[in-house]
Amino acid sequence: MNKHVGSKRPRQHWLVMNRILLAILGGYAFTYAFTAALARVLPMARVDALVAASLLSFVIYLSFILWAFAAASLRRVALVAATAIPLAALGFWPQLLEAVR
Amino acid sequence: MKGTLTQSMAWLHTWCGLLLGWVLFAIFLTGTLAVFDKEISWWMQPELIDRAQPASEAANLAHRWLTTHHPDESNWNVSLPSERSAALGVSVGERRRGGEGVTHLDPLTGDTLEPRETMGGNFFFRFHFSLNLPNMLGIWVVGLAAMAMLVALISGIVIHKKIFKEFFTFRPAKGQRSWLDAHNASAVLLLPFHLMITYTGLVIFFLIYMPAAVDALFEGDRQAYFSEAQPTLAAMRAGERTRPTEAPAAPLVPLGDLVARAEARFGPGMIGGLAVANPGRANAEVTVRPVLGHRIELTKGEAMVFNGVTGELIREPEASRTSQLIQQVMAGLHFAQFGGYPMRWLYFLCGLISSAMIATGLVLYTVKQRRQGTNHAFLKLVESLNVSVIAGLALACIALLWANRLLPTGLEGRLGWELRLFFGVWALTWAHGWVRKPMQAWREQLYAAAALALGLPALDVLTGSATDTVRLSLLACVVAMGLGLGWTAWKIPAVVAARKARAARTAPIDKTPQGVSS
Amino acid sequence: MNGSALFASLVLAYAGMLGFCLGKERHWKQLIDPRVSVRLRPLCAPIGAVLLCLAAFAALRVWPGGMALVGWFGAVSLAGFALLMLIPYAPRVVTMLPVLGGVIWAASLV
Repeated sequence: MNKHVGSKRPRQHWLVMNRILLAILGGYAFTYAFTAALARVLPMARVDALVAASLLSFVIYLSFILWAFAAASLRRVALVAATAIPLAALGFWPQLLEAVR
Repeated sequence: MKGTLTQSMAWLHTWCGLLLGWVLFAIFLTGTLAVFDKEISWWMQPELIDRAQPASEAANLAHRWLTTHHPDESNWNVSLPSERSAALGVSVGERRRGGEGVTHLDPLTGDTLEPRETMGGNFFFRFHFSLNLPNMLGIWVVGLAAMAMLVALISGIVIHKKIFKEFFTFRPAKGQRSWLDAHNASAVLLLPFHLMITYTGLVIFFLIYMPAAVDALFEGDRQAYFSEAQPTLAAMRAGERTRPTEAPAAPLVPLGDLVARAEARFGPGMIGGLAVANPGRANAEVTVRPVLGHRIELTKGEAMVFNGVTGELIREPEASRTSQLIQQVMAGLHFAQFGGYPMRWLYFLCGLISSAMIATGLVLYTVKQRRQGTNHAFLKLVESLNVSVIAGLALACIALLWANRLLPTGLEGRLGWELRLFFGVWALTWAHGWVRKPMQAWREQLYAAAALALGLPALDVLTGSATDTVRLSLLACVVAMGLGLGWTAWKIPAVVAARKARAARTAPIDKTPQGVSS
Repeated sequence: MNGSALFASLVLAYAGMLGFCLGKERHWKQLIDPRVSVRLRPLCAPIGAVLLCLAAFAALRVWPGGMALVGWFGAVSLAGFALLMLIPYAPRVVTMLPVLGGVIWAASLV
């Protein structure tokens, strides 16, 4: 994936930009959803679940960013970032139910 | 992303470190200075006098002064002298934010003192987490920088193949090799500190940075979360707002007695201040606050509450629930208010070395790029930013201390002028760094910073007279740092000469040495 | 504040890190006189570990519980950094320091 041929330069930049955006923004979205879901799922008093999930979130975000740059395929990173949607549904299901009603 | 894991992580480490390194250096340097924020503030208000008064005596004096001057106020506030800052301050009315409406008293005679209006060491503390940017923008930038620091730390560990072999390796006077050694060794030897300080920094603002759990479980209502997590404290705060003020007159118990009783619980010299509600009335209540630091846990707002007439203890701090304890211990590890002066000095020295670690990384980038003969415009930008962020910021910080003494004490809007001088000097260093050649710029700015630092005792004698331990210690520390800056500047011509000699010896560009490959 | 224990903790942290350092061949050759038997080298790291533990005990005399752990980490890191700086610039001082430190500490007890 690392070719420095002149005509491929713009595409290379585009891919790098995409990866950076996915890592930072996609990573934040993923971490946000994951944290909400984890806080919802943890079998503790909600105050304690909140703290546990929130404190862990920085490690989750860090791991996502590192993996996003280590991963070979950009598509895989995008797919994992997209799991933010089902995770958010898990985290916010009472609010979703309210909205639907 | 790149061919191998090492290559990807090397690329990530380089760019993450470079682009956020300038912000990170500023955060780390001002954070290090903020360790001694109260001591710096004390030096910046030379009108205040250290009378070595025990807290209970000072409290009684404040009590007498307030009874004489403000007997009918419904709220009194006293901030007591402590080991770090011997100032005695009183104010009336609602809890004031910042220094507004505080009257400083001589702890021995009760005379009113008029210290100059100044940013104080608090400036470094605020800049550290907000970069002096408006509202929440600064906090978010710092948060982003903190995440970048974590990314740089872990990616750095991954690519440092010889982490154990080169644990104690530093080979000076070898150009790029030396910069890499310094960067690696300072990072690895202080790795526990780096990981701890960065992570705990994020934990302090965890509700801002990652509100997901609050949004999901409390509909984003932070007050509701706080009430459930720390019910006693929340009740106390609510009670403060709705306290009735009408009651028959009754003598207030001597404040010094309550301070002495609080010292029995929190430790001698560990009382930060007290607040009196409805002094001189039957429903008077005295809230005695400890100085942070009798344990690691950062317990803001905890206090002992006494009946103001009978002296009976109404409320005392409760143990926090485990999750709150964990978060507050982490925050406490970052705030470094525990363990007395020895701990404070450990944090300070670690902070200085961390700042140096970031600086060596930034310089390493330019050293490497110059050897490889790459993009000149970008390199020029990086080099000018390096000198103005590293040497320039150091110069601006010392310039702030000079401004504190040189600006007229009665100057209108003095705070604004101190700020303008700080940022003005810093902006000038960037212009200077752009116009001068890199080595010249480094040399001149480092010498300027060293000169100001070494000249500070003379300035102090002429404008302030330091006679107490805190002020003299500050001067000694600044002089020591000035010597360090001066020595660095002095070494530069030798470094340039050595580099030229190396370049002459190995005329074609040789292979990059083992280590980071880009 | 127990000044003597604090000093002991710093000296022991330094000595412990020196132990780990001398356990490596490169630094053994840099810092130790060739007449000293090389068979002592494998002992250095374990001795260093013991000294670091002693540094922790000393830290517990300075600070309570958790604070002592934080202080110990700080002392060990800073001692390691001091060692790092001394090796290239003042190699003869490197091995003298723990001895000097021990003497000063013993004197402080009197």
